[in-house]
Amino acid sequence: MIKAKPIEIFCGTGGVGKTTTASSRAIYLAKKGKKVLLITIDPSQRLKEVFGLNDQMAGNPEKVTHENIGSSTPFEFEAMLMSPSATIARMIKTSSKGELLKNPIIKTLSRPYGGMNEIMAMIEVNQRIKTQKYDTIVLDTPPGKHFIDFLEAAQKINHFFDKSFLDLFKYLGKSFEGSRTQTLSKKLIGSIVTKGVKKLLGYLDKVTGQAFVEEFIDAVSALYQNREYFLEGLELEERLKIQSFSNWFLVTSVDQQKITQAGELKDQAIHFMHYDNYLIINKTLQQQIEQWNPNSELTKSLKESMSYRERKIKEFSKENFSRILEFEEILSDSPTEHVLKLSESWENTSI
Amino acid sequence: MNPNKRLYVVTGKGGVGKTLISLALAKYLKDQGHKVLHNSYDQEAHDRVCSDLEIPTWNSTLEESATIYIARKLGSETVARWVMKTPFFIGLFNMIPGLGYMIYLGHIIDRLRNDPSLTIVVDSPSSGHLLTTFEVPSNFREIFGSGILVQDINKMEQCLSSTSFLKTLIVCLPHQLSLSEGKELSDKLEDRNIKGSELLINDSLSLIPELQKEDLPPFLVEKIKNEKQLLQNLPSIDEMIKIPHFSSLDEKKLILSLQSYIKGLV
Repeated sequence: MIKAKPIEIFCGTGGVGKTTTASSRAIYLAKKGKKVLLITIDPSQRLKEVFGLNDQMAGNPEKVTHENIGSSTPFEFEAMLMSPSATIARMIKTSSKGELLKNPIIKTLSRPYGGMNEIMAMIEVNQRIKTQKYDTIVLDTPPGKHFIDFLEAAQKINHFFDKSFLDLFKYLGKSFEGSRTQTLSKKLIGSIVTKGVKKLLGYLDKVTGQAFVEEFIDAVSALYQNREYFLEGLELEERLKIQSFSNWFLVTSVDQQKITQAGELKDQAIHFMHYDNYLIINKTLQQQIEQWNPNSELTKSLKESMSYRERKIKEFSKENFSRILEFEEILSDSPTEHVLKLSESWENTSI
Repeated sequence: MNPNKRLYVVTGKGGVGKTLISLALAKYLKDQGHKVLHNSYDQEAHDRVCSDLEIPTWNSTLEESATIYIARKLGSETVARWVMKTPFFIGLFNMIPGLGYMIYLGHIIDRLRNDPSLTIVVDSPSSGHLLTTFEVPSNFREIFGSGILVQDINKMEQCLSSTSFLKTLIVCLPHQLSLSEGKELSDKLEDRNIKGSELLINDSLSLIPELQKEDLPPFLVEKIKNEKQLLQNLPSIDEMIKIPHFSSLDEKKLILSLQSYIKGLV
């Protein structure tokens, strides 16, 4: 049995069963009496289908019980779909909140597919941890490269505020947060800053028009005034690296056609991970395939292609991971039944 | 003779076979005598297979495409290179990955507009992120309001919403989750005025015709039974392209076998 940690991260390339295995882990821990929150950052949000959630519920934890999914063993936990705009609305407590939310640029970018998903997720998760309401937060992450985006989100924010705007804000200094007699943008453009930034804004102006440049500067300054909230993401990043704090599960699946991607993902994520990382091989049918004695050309070649996939993924796993969990393919096509059966597999995991 | 679409975008969840299907489609078009290019959308390219099968490719990176675009807008490549290296722009592209994807898509569309005889087949990132890519133009139109960029975005959207220009192919495995994700993507694209996307079923055991007559072990019988049930319940199953599982382990052979199923698309 794998010890539960405050945060458990499920990552992997698309279609391997991240959502299903993360959900099964949440159910398993909930059955053990743990207080669990399951968050999905994956924009495809398959969690909806598994637990009967809908888009209107995005941004808020919803209670899921055994009755929702027809299980006889009682359990209860919370599940949440990420909503970047809900996160912004909730996290910012300063008076500039209204300004930030009304800014057309921020508004557009914080839509569900607007492109700020990963960054807002980092902040959301950190805030949920700080409520201390949960024993474990299970994270279902976006596929592949976007998972790395998620991990690096905090650094990116930091970099964005640190380097990009140093020029702008060196000039503005203290007066920046104080007097607001003129709009910030006018002030900026009027008496501007270093040559580089001025040139840059000039180029922007040329292709987008004046209105955008003003809104843009307003958006950036509103973000800047709230930077401490955004930089919270850095706290989470530090926490993820602590062994007693997090478990990492890299999910792969036998029916996945490109296993090398899992290796690449691990290489990129390795400096965030610690020793408690596990490889999950999902949907294995190895035992059944081995016991099968086909007697025609067709079935022989089918057995060969099926066992080839099993072999390949296991060779890869042994080369790259010391802790491997194998989950047998569940031959049921109901997603909820699938998750329920899978949750039982966690009982037998021994490393 | 042109194929009936200019741009084919192959998408679906990871590991469903997008890459092989997109390569098969490009190969098929090429063998039919069309001028075609295969593009991997800033993901890992497949140079070896492509050169072995004589599939012409064209690949760019997000940064390259953005530099070219900015250079054209500002009339100077030197300035564009400088702009792209400022921490501000690096930060901007990092914070809003969609921006880079939009410019990349714009680059593809530009090539097509400049060469009316060309067709491009794109092996696109998986579903959720394709949606982001297709949504970005309208987001940025709202953000920019007016100006040259908005004119470009309008041109781009015009192309994307034309069913004679774009065909989106959503590859699914014969599992419930994969299919409902495919259907959801198709609906959401429709909401964004991108019509006529098509679902394909790939790697299906139940579609190997001769397998029915064989004596199969219980786990396969069960697997095939589930698949069949699922496929029968799809309302549009008759019109869908359905590809069986191939036992071949050779990538090139697979691409060639896929071709006969892809024909119906063109």
